[in-house]
Amino acid sequence: MREIMYREALREALDEEMQRDPNVFVIGEGIAERGGSYKVTEGLLAKYGPKRIRDTPIAEAGMIGVGVGAAIAGARPIVEILYVDFAMLGMDMIVNQAAKFRLMTGGEGRVPFVLRTQGGAGGGVAAQHSQSLEALFYHIPGLKVVMPSVPADAKGLLKYALRQDDPVMFLEHKHLYMTKGPVPGGEHIVEFGKADIKRAGKDVTIIAWSNMIPRSLEAAESLAAEGIEAEVVDPRTLVPLDEETILTSVAKTHRVVIVQEAVRRGGVASDIASIIQEKAFYELDAPIEIVAGLNVPIPFNLELEKASVPQKSDIIAAVKRSLYVPSYAMAAE
Amino acid sequence: MAEAILVPQVGQDLTEAKVVALHVKVGDQVKKGDVVAEVESEKASFEVEAFSAGTVTHVAYKLGDMATVLQPLLFVGEAGEIAGAQSAASTGSGTPVSPVAPSERQASLGSFERHRSSPLARRLASSNGLDISRMNGSGPHGAVVLKDIEALLTSSGAANKAKGQTSLAFRSLRDGTGTPVIFMHGFGAELVAWRPFVEHLGIANQKTGVDLPGHGASPDSGVEDFDDLVETVAAALIMAGHTNLHLVGHSLGAAIAAALAVRDGFRVQSLSLIAPAGLGPKINGDFIAGFLSAETEAALKAWMRILVHRSSDLPQAMVRATLVARQEIGIAAAHGRIAAAVFSGSTQLFSIRDALDKYQGPCRIIVGRQDAIIPPEYADAVPDCIAVHRLSGVGHLPQLESAALVARLVSETVRAAG
Repeated sequence: MREIMYREALREALDEEMQRDPNVFVIGEGIAERGGSYKVTEGLLAKYGPKRIRDTPIAEAGMIGVGVGAAIAGARPIVEILYVDFAMLGMDMIVNQAAKFRLMTGGEGRVPFVLRTQGGAGGGVAAQHSQSLEALFYHIPGLKVVMPSVPADAKGLLKYALRQDDPVMFLEHKHLYMTKGPVPGGEHIVEFGKADIKRAGKDVTIIAWSNMIPRSLEAAESLAAEGIEAEVVDPRTLVPLDEETILTSVAKTHRVVIVQEAVRRGGVASDIASIIQEKAFYELDAPIEIVAGLNVPIPFNLELEKASVPQKSDIIAAVKRSLYVPSYAMAAE
Repeated sequence: MAEAILVPQVGQDLTEAKVVALHVKVGDQVKKGDVVAEVESEKASFEVEAFSAGTVTHVAYKLGDMATVLQPLLFVGEAGEIAGAQSAASTGSGTPVSPVAPSERQASLGSFERHRSSPLARRLASSNGLDISRMNGSGPHGAVVLKDIEALLTSSGAANKAKGQTSLAFRSLRDGTGTPVIFMHGFGAELVAWRPFVEHLGIANQKTGVDLPGHGASPDSGVEDFDDLVETVAAALIMAGHTNLHLVGHSLGAAIAAALAVRDGFRVQSLSLIAPAGLGPKINGDFIAGFLSAETEAALKAWMRILVHRSSDLPQAMVRATLVARQEIGIAAAHGRIAAAVFSGSTQLFSIRDALDKYQGPCRIIVGRQDAIIPPEYADAVPDCIAVHRLSGVGHLPQLESAALVARLVSETVRAAG
């Protein structure tokens, strides 16, 4: 299969869906003539014109408000927010309007709204441009939370997002745009709530998403050299969450390491851990390990930035603790 | 301090014996070897001897009482201790009080420590009918984890298939906490023989004895050679959940302990070898043959005297107990089969020298300089890291002939493991 970049896969999804459905349009900062900071919308202006590929002022609250309103009115808007950090300006529209509208109209009103943005640390862009904020959206009933880790998933999930009628937080990662992977041409749909086993293994289940998938796969490769076979499970969408695939893997391996780039406190990893202990307690042979970011704003200094988010060595150590490998003492001891 | 003289073990699985004669009363002087009382079971009567000289400070039972075996029958100490011993011994409204060292009592108060195991291990144990409540696992703080259950299921399954019957008799010699100390008796003995000795130990660990194949309450399992013997004991230990342990062995039991110490699947924290077999080829074949063929008390006594340096150190009760055990159906034949599997005439058909080279934990060897069964000089050529204690005026049963010192050395070895 041909290999293309994550950002090209996203562009392909946008292109195909805009062609299929005239109601789809994109608004955002510098996305039209400039083609977007990460070049996801490059070339789309020429193809679809300024009505459907539209630049906005630097006014995230306004953009998100326009998007949610247009969705309620029946259009299929995609609002591109440069950094997830800036989506905070539109939280009222997301949390109190988009997420609630369907329920408060007794199901008559729908909000087919897609907010595309990117998060994560990398490159020393400091505390206001490096956050992983999926837990904020995960916490709000009524929102779908999508976090693709590879180009094929990016394409398939975005296409699916544009075909269903509830608000979607589509969270990309700044480190992934230039990564390459095989992507099917043409119609390729990835439904929400279907986890993907990125690597099969029998000894331990690593659950990770977004940029923590490539890092976990690297860790799994190193572990394999030591005879430890890790299974890497990518939920792909945090809401809805594919509990069945996760629990099946846990029942196979009996040890769990959950890796999230976001800060540890109040994170999605903690919630997945609670689901596992509730539904698969008697499958567990070791405490569930969580490898997460430190509870700090991401520092500007590159070395400190690295120290703030999970690294390959952290994942390897957690796996060994869960397997009771001697000399990797339990954190709790 | 007054020492307790225990009600003897009057036979396998019997817990009580009737006091049929009391030859002393409080205040009487006794000397070592004096017969102080007589107890009887349905099968046999036993004379109870004093182990040391002194004054009888307390008698726990009256004539005609049913006495609990291995509990104090009376105490012997200094004349001045009489009042104290009496008040100490009468606290339990007639229940005999065993002389527990303060440190040990303290430790057993802490025995409510939660047993650790992973949720998965508990589920698998329960669905396979395994009792892991006393098992010491390989996880943190001895937690039982999947690996331990798998090892247990694999070896018990495989061993059962191979032998049909592998379970050996285990019995607690004294309840305690922490990593268990497992005691392995020598050829022709049984686990209860350790009872008087463990009373001297100054460690709080759980103390458990095992009857070796073909001895005591354990079947001989068709053991064909020494390796087979070791594997049978290994399988039984795993099934009983004892994979993380201290080992104390005597003679043939010491050789088995040494082999287990370097066997996969076990974490042997320390190794105490008393008059160990397997250090060299020679053994007193006349003794083995004579011991096996003796049919009367007098004949048995004549042979068993060779076990000790001073014949007064051989308790009559031990000879009696051996004779009673012989009368159990099949025990004499089983002893013979085990002897044939591991000895040939005056030759030991196995060696533990490789095991001693490999073993990394604390290890002590204790031999009697006057051992007439196994040449004590064999202990001269063991790896330098092993401490060798040569006891003067002691034969093949140091744990009996010099119980206090041997107990101290064993306790130190166990403690050395940390």
